[in-house]
Amino acid sequence: MRCRECVEHLYEYLDREVTPDLEAEMRAHIQKCPPCSEHFDFETLFLKFVRVRCRAQGAPVTLRRRILEQLLEE
Amino acid sequence: MTSTPPPASSNPPSPPPRSPEERRAGFEREALVHLDALYRVALRLTGNASDAEDLVQETMLRAYRSWDRYTPGTNAKGWLLTILRHLFINEYRRRSRHPETVDVDTIEPFALFQEVQEEDPQGAFFDKIVDDEVLRAVDQLPEAFREAVTLSDVEGLSYEEVAKVLDVPVGTVKSRLYRGRRLLQAKLYEYAVSMGYIKGQAKK
Repeated sequence: MRCRECVEHLYEYLDREVTPDLEAEMRAHIQKCPPCSEHFDFETLFLKFVRVRCRAQGAPVTLRRRILEQLLEE
Repeated sequence: MTSTPPPASSNPPSPPPRSPEERRAGFEREALVHLDALYRVALRLTGNASDAEDLVQETMLRAYRSWDRYTPGTNAKGWLLTILRHLFINEYRRRSRHPETVDVDTIEPFALFQEVQEEDPQGAFFDKIVDDEVLRAVDQLPEAFREAVTLSDVEGLSYEEVAKVLDVPVGTVKSRLYRGRRLLQAKLYEYAVSMGYIKGQAKK
């Protein structure tokens, strides 16, 4: 596998949306290719960063209460 | 656009009648646990807390009223998000207060890794960016990208699940995610450079 092909499927790989065969092939390539490995690590970090930062906020307690009251009225 | 009834995953034979208490307990157990996710998605869609709260409350009410059409143990989160999105499109989109977002056609391919590869390949500058700036960057994405990124990257839905909620093919989800992530990276990069977190490369 060449770097270009590997990077082309980068997000699908990180999203666990590639076939097992392709995943194995990509993993083998990344292990022996430092530039690709660095690139994949960076994108992994980016996706984790987005997830963690955007999930910090939850629903207000008052909203939960309003919904529970509403269900009781139904 | 006409109002769309909440989608039922399929129409199973009518379940045995449940008591109101059982029904409510089931709803709390399977649906209400997704309240945080629904609220976050509603916030990203509407752009303001008060509309987001109303949208979520209305979603929960509609979901509760059609709860008998939901098959216990299936994907409640996706089911609820689908109801929420339909409601948003039909009743909230017109007054959503998102700033004018970028023209999709003007998006230049931008790969953050290539920009910071020399200076900060481990992405240490991410830690310096505060949550509000990340949310602001997400909010500036065009709606189609914003919802794909929110459902996938923030709420962890699979491509297939995102495709179902958005009612588009999986290929479309993939391309929206790709472009949405690139655009988000471009915005974060711009911000990090403006704050001096990274030097960045001289404008070509």
